[in-house]
Amino acid sequence: MAVAPDRELKKGNAELLILALLEDQARHGYEIGKLIAERSEGVLRFHVASLYPLLYRLERRGWVTGEWEPAGGRRRRYYRLTQTGRKILGKQRSRWRAFSAAVNRIVEVRHA
Amino acid sequence: MPDWKKIVREKLGTLPLTNGRRDEVIEELAQQLESAYEEALAHGVSEQQAMRRSLAQFKDWEKLRRELFHSVEGARLPVWEQNGFFSPRRLPVWTVLGLSALLLALPVSRQALEILPVPGGYPNPKGSQMFSEAALRRIEQSGDKQKYARALAFIALHSSKEDDPRAVQAAEKAIALDPQLTWISAKMSHATYLYPGYDPHPWIERLKAWDPQNAFPYMLEADANVHWWEPPWSQFRGASSGVRGNFAAEPRWRIPMDKAFAAPRIDFYDVQQFALDRQALLEQGLDRPDVLFAAGWSQPVPDLQLITFYEDIQLQDIGETAEKAGRTDEALTAYWSVVRFADRLGASPLDIARFCSNRLHRDAYKHILALLRSKGRADEAGMVDSALSALPRFDYSLERPGYPSVEATATRSAWVMVVSAVFVALLGAAAALWLVFVIVLKWKADLGVSRLLNRLASPLCFAPPSLLLASMALFLGFYPYARSIAQFHSYKELEYGYAPVLMGLYDVTRFGNLNDVWLLHMFWPTVWCALVALVGACVLAWVHSRPRPDRPDAT
Repeated sequence: MAVAPDRELKKGNAELLILALLEDQARHGYEIGKLIAERSEGVLRFHVASLYPLLYRLERRGWVTGEWEPAGGRRRRYYRLTQTGRKILGKQRSRWRAFSAAVNRIVEVRHA
Repeated sequence: MPDWKKIVREKLGTLPLTNGRRDEVIEELAQQLESAYEEALAHGVSEQQAMRRSLAQFKDWEKLRRELFHSVEGARLPVWEQNGFFSPRRLPVWTVLGLSALLLALPVSRQALEILPVPGGYPNPKGSQMFSEAALRRIEQSGDKQKYARALAFIALHSSKEDDPRAVQAAEKAIALDPQLTWISAKMSHATYLYPGYDPHPWIERLKAWDPQNAFPYMLEADANVHWWEPPWSQFRGASSGVRGNFAAEPRWRIPMDKAFAAPRIDFYDVQQFALDRQALLEQGLDRPDVLFAAGWSQPVPDLQLITFYEDIQLQDIGETAEKAGRTDEALTAYWSVVRFADRLGASPLDIARFCSNRLHRDAYKHILALLRSKGRADEAGMVDSALSALPRFDYSLERPGYPSVEATATRSAWVMVVSAVFVALLGAAAALWLVFVIVLKWKADLGVSRLLNRLASPLCFAPPSLLLASMALFLGFYPYARSIAQFHSYKELEYGYAPVLMGLYDVTRFGNLNDVWLLHMFWPTVWCALVALVGACVLAWVHSRPRPDRPDAT
């Protein structure tokens, strides 16, 4: 059974999730939402009403760029990481790894 | 297939994005809906259900609209594009703003705001600060021009100094125009010790000639002739009998006091002054019971210490001496003269005069009672004893039954008024700012500062509805006391029906040193500092909101 993650925890890492999904290839909004749900096996579900404002915010900051491209007989807006976005992703990922490792060391290890 | 773009466009309403960005956003959201719809259909649900599922992704379109704009533009949705309940596009905010203005414009609210103790606006017993020089000059000019005696008499009564040439001239003119106003001479001749060199005697003589049956002018004369706190009389201050003896031997004091005690009536002209003050204030459009109440503080009252000196002369020096010498009738005459004077003095509505009367009655009755009993005149003694027993204790709570509860209620009203007035002031300022901002944003939306103004105006939309609540609290708090001065017929009515809330206000706002030092001297500088700080904060916010070329990844 999937445990619903804490809302604040999800909110604080939403940028990291999106940047990570865009690291290898460009994706459109619908795909990003689906991938988050699929890869987290349903634990993380991104509310669509929050996804698009977040994408536009990242775009305004210059971390991603959006471009209209044809896809499946229609055009979709694909988002790509910029150089700045890639640096930010690196920093956020390092921070996340350090944070999760620290939490794991406390939560998972039983001290004698 | 539903027209998703049309649906999104209708749901979002106006989305003031530029450069075609609005259409892009609508298209992208439409694709999201369409993809979800197609996926639902693929899972075998009906078209209707698929459409419902798809639309369920966006529950709060107004919130989405705000967030989309904020994400794209990095700023709040313009206030004129907001659809909140109290946004300027909708009627409620203007309704509550109009109601607030209406409520505050009502005479009840205006009077409530006017009587609140504000630094620099505290009426004081000297009277001069109650009316500004400009106001007095205006009344004087109006009285001069129209040859209106009562306006000039008002100037004479309430000018800052008794020796002020303006007050004297106004009094002369007023009496010349209407000799019935000669009683204002009492004011011109009163308390002369405050202004050395001023000769009050012409005024006293005029008053004596005009009202010879009144004890008051004679008391003023005795007061003006002999100042018991000054040399040579002050050397006897330690011994009451010393002062008394010297006064008794001083004809300039003794003769007018004899006449005062013998006069058939005592009138301090308080009724006349009340009527004149009330009329003048109404004519000047100053319908304020607090000002009328404070105007009464300038009313002349004789030095009651002189009365007690004269009482002692009658009771001890004359009465007791005659009693010891066996001249009973002479002693009784002296004692009864005090009682009769006390009777006349007690008829005055002034509390201080009634207090003095009470003491005179008590002292004189005790002397009479002892003498009558010693002479075996039991019947007469019994009557005097009854009169002595019937004398009220001069206690405000006994004099005014139920007054403590009146005071308690008034204090509660005062608290409500002060607290709500603070909120009215703060929220009124906030509502005024909000109004200015939304007007500027409506007509000058392209100003460079429009983003900052919009950012400030958005949270200020709470001010108009809150202002209405604060205005209602102020109105209801003061409503039981709201009356026109035309409805008061004496200072007594003012004192009992209005003064409790006025005094309650001063009690509530009495903060000791805070009041004396901070409120009196630092209030307005603090307000100015707060305004400067606010402007500074606004500038900082504006600078902060500007893009930073050195930080391309800045949020």
